[in-house]
Amino acid sequence: MTTSLDQQKRDQQERRKATWRRFTSHPSLMIGTVILVLLVAIALAAPWLAPYSPTRTSLINTLQDASWAHPLGTDQFGRDVLSRLIHGTRVSLLVAFWVVTLSLIIGTIVGGIAGFFGGWIDRSINVVNDILMAFPGFLLALAIVATQGSSLESVIIAVSIAYTPRVIAVMRSVALTIRPRPFIEASRSIGMTSTRILLRHVIPNALPPVIVVATLSAASAILAEAGLSFLGLGVRPPIPTWGNIIADGQASITTNPLISISSGLCIAAMVIALNLIGDGLRDALDPQMRRQTAKIL
Amino acid sequence: MAHLTAAPLLELKNISKTFNGSASWRGRSSNAVQAVDQATLALYPGETLGLVGETGSGKSTLGRIALRLIEPSSGSVMFEGQDITHLSPRLLREKRQRMQMVFQDPYGSLDPRMSVDKLVSEPLVVHNVEYAQRQEKMHAALEQVGLDPALAHRYPHEFSGGQRQRIGIARAMVLDPAFLVLDEPVSALDVSIQAQVLNLLHEIQIRTGVSYLFIAHDLSVVRHISHRVAVMYLGRIVEIGTRDAIYNRPKHPYTVSLLSAVPIPDPVLERARKRIPLIGEIGSANNTPSGCRFHPRCPRAHEVAQQKNIAIQKLGATDIPVLCATQDPALVGSDTEQACACHFPHETF
Amino acid sequence: MSHPSKVLLDIQQLSVAVSGTQSTIPLVHNVSLQINSGETLAVVGESGSGKTLTFLAALGIAPAGVKVTSGEVLFEGDDLTKLNPNALRSKRGTAISMVFQDPLSALNPVFSIGTQIIEVLRAHLPLTKAQARARAIELLERVHIPDPHRRIDDYPHQFSGGMRQRALIAMAIALEPRVLIADEPTTALDVTVQAQVLELLSQLREETGMALVLITHDLGLVARHADRVAVFYAGRIVEQASVQALFHEPRHPYTVSLFRTIPRLDSPTNIALTPIVGQPPNLAKLPAGCPFAPRCYLAKSDCGSIQTKLIDTTNHEHLSACQHWSEVHQEF
Repeated sequence: MTTSLDQQKRDQQERRKATWRRFTSHPSLMIGTVILVLLVAIALAAPWLAPYSPTRTSLINTLQDASWAHPLGTDQFGRDVLSRLIHGTRVSLLVAFWVVTLSLIIGTIVGGIAGFFGGWIDRSINVVNDILMAFPGFLLALAIVATQGSSLESVIIAVSIAYTPRVIAVMRSVALTIRPRPFIEASRSIGMTSTRILLRHVIPNALPPVIVVATLSAASAILAEAGLSFLGLGVRPPIPTWGNIIADGQASITTNPLISISSGLCIAAMVIALNLIGDGLRDALDPQMRRQTAKIL
Repeated sequence: MAHLTAAPLLELKNISKTFNGSASWRGRSSNAVQAVDQATLALYPGETLGLVGETGSGKSTLGRIALRLIEPSSGSVMFEGQDITHLSPRLLREKRQRMQMVFQDPYGSLDPRMSVDKLVSEPLVVHNVEYAQRQEKMHAALEQVGLDPALAHRYPHEFSGGQRQRIGIARAMVLDPAFLVLDEPVSALDVSIQAQVLNLLHEIQIRTGVSYLFIAHDLSVVRHISHRVAVMYLGRIVEIGTRDAIYNRPKHPYTVSLLSAVPIPDPVLERARKRIPLIGEIGSANNTPSGCRFHPRCPRAHEVAQQKNIAIQKLGATDIPVLCATQDPALVGSDTEQACACHFPHETF
Repeated sequence: MSHPSKVLLDIQQLSVAVSGTQSTIPLVHNVSLQINSGETLAVVGESGSGKTLTFLAALGIAPAGVKVTSGEVLFEGDDLTKLNPNALRSKRGTAISMVFQDPLSALNPVFSIGTQIIEVLRAHLPLTKAQARARAIELLERVHIPDPHRRIDDYPHQFSGGMRQRALIAMAIALEPRVLIADEPTTALDVTVQAQVLELLSQLREETGMALVLITHDLGLVARHADRVAVFYAGRIVEQASVQALFHEPRHPYTVSLFRTIPRLDSPTNIALTPIVGQPPNLAKLPAGCPFAPRCYLAKSDCGSIQTKLIDTTNHEHLSACQHWSEVHQEF
């Protein structure tokens, strides 16, 4: 028994090393992860990093240009733009996190059921899903916020709902390709119930492409949140989000363009990071690459 | 040793299966494929019944119907004396412990994301075996197939094709079933590994008395492991009998042709053999010929038509007996000795 | 044989390797083969033995990352390994042609069979569409596809497995190659159809005097159709002989083991098959000395250290890589 435990430890180490190598050998994945980690660090350290409170107004200091005291200037309420930017990271990350989580949970279950069980279940889910996907995600989020009112929670919910249908669609098609595979039939022959097969065999095997889609959806969701906030339909002031900072910066675009530019760049950075991670994951998680060479001999 | 006198373990009675269509004796839609037509066979305790046939023979479908992985369109499946054709899903799941399957593809039939120990113990989990016993049985199953239990935490892709097939066999045997359906279990393996797996299957049968329904297209392999053999063509069992009867004294023209097409690894013998070619290609299962479904390709039909006192009719440019073209022959004989579905079977040897 | 035999394809000491993640793995090691006109050479081996890769590399169609590391492939005065890609491409299909294992994946499902044959013809010959179509129908007739005028417009999925393989053969012989390499041409086919397809290949060989290379693992097929046989193991040739000599007097333990391990229609059934012990060789980690030694029933103490090479046991007719070849006996 000791030999088997030693062997097990050695194998696990080998496996971890191989996985590490696979992930670190992707430049886009690494760059994206670094940027994301940086942004997470900034969000976590926001209270200490930001020189001022993001909501502290100062009627004497309104619309200041960039200076040593305020590297990005102040907005029309005298709030330090840099501090608002730093705190705005939190909202964006929150949105990204919730969109990925909710769309993954709902998407895998609903898409998995549709793809695996087929028949009328599949058809009914599809009808609803296709209708939802016919709307651009942004419009859908807009519609939901319009009915639910704008607050951080409703924006997050709206954006998550808006971008879940495509995860459902991807999960469904992957489930369709997994369903005819021999190991699924093997599970049936053992006497497993369909539910168990779905949870234990279909979903774990379907996760890689679905994770990629969810990550890319998060990027779109952040843009949607920014758009909503810019329009004034998103997160209400005084909570800073990159979107409403751009909106605030509009008024002073000629005198202090830094406000809008800097928040725009932040959004771009986060979206690029998520896209790089999504692309990188797609390659890194693709088991096909590994098996190609083995077959030709 | 096979107990052919005991009650059969498994009985398939008049099984028919039509895909995308209605039951076999009513009109079929044009897209319907009749995969199996009125197949009857019995599997006895401790024996290996080989099921051979080419593309479209329906052998894989029949094997799956035996386990009710595919539902028959008509006919009944009896297991251990009980009719399980219409058993509820819950009761069927309990029966599943006693009948398992080994699949053809050693690469695809194991979930790539599960470690081997979880794969082999999964049947035990599904059937609520206690945790303490699970480890023990899983280890025992792996040892039975010649795999080191110490390596069970590894994943399928870390094993070779032959080893994966053994894992599949271990998983099928872990619940100690009464019979296994094996669908082309060695055809995806290298020849040097095939023998290992065949010997293993034989060993397991001697030790546990499990019966095998061994589905394959390779006649040499089937000959080596089977006690009895059934030959299928276009959904019908055309001949069934003991291994020696089928291979040494085949009666059905299709069996004769099939055997003559299998090359023997001996240049002198092989080049001296006469091949008995079939005419044309295998028919399609959605357009089966009238009468004996083999008659358009049957060399014997032509031969017999030359004899005197046989009523003949035209088939294209040649003559064939009227009987062959109009009447579907029934399986005549004892399925434990030799039975054949032909109007003019080969008799003398 | 009505055509005088001459060497068409001469593979000399070919070595092929793949660049792995951490090192180069040798896949084919010093393989030499002569392919003569009008003859059928069977190349036997299991998966990973290098039997297919040798020819893919010789024709320049090996997968990405796989490269020829040494040796020459001489064909009509040229060394194929040194030719530029365009010149090589013009040789492929015209002078040397290959038929692959799985007809369903080798044919494009969205084009009709006729379109695909015509494409091959017009890529290399100055034919009008009408002329090419007539040639294509001729070719289909030649491979015994019934009703070719109608079937030429059918799609691959409308053909049965055997007919698809014939269609592939039609494409392969369209430009009248002098060497036809058939890679496991019948593995995916029923046994009755197998026999028909191989008869067809033999017949074509007789008619045109072309050389046929039959890559297979099925020794029965080899016994029936081959003139000479080369046996591959772990990327090298371990035995090469005429078909009679190989089957009746094998001189390598691997060949003998193969014979003992396969079930045959004519062997007594109460004798168990003798499996070859051990696992197939791992090309990334071959043992020193003879690669078959770990599984060899005849292995001696020096087999693990001596580098094996092909030994001429009878006058260039029978080569064996086993240095103890004289002790290899055959019992049935």
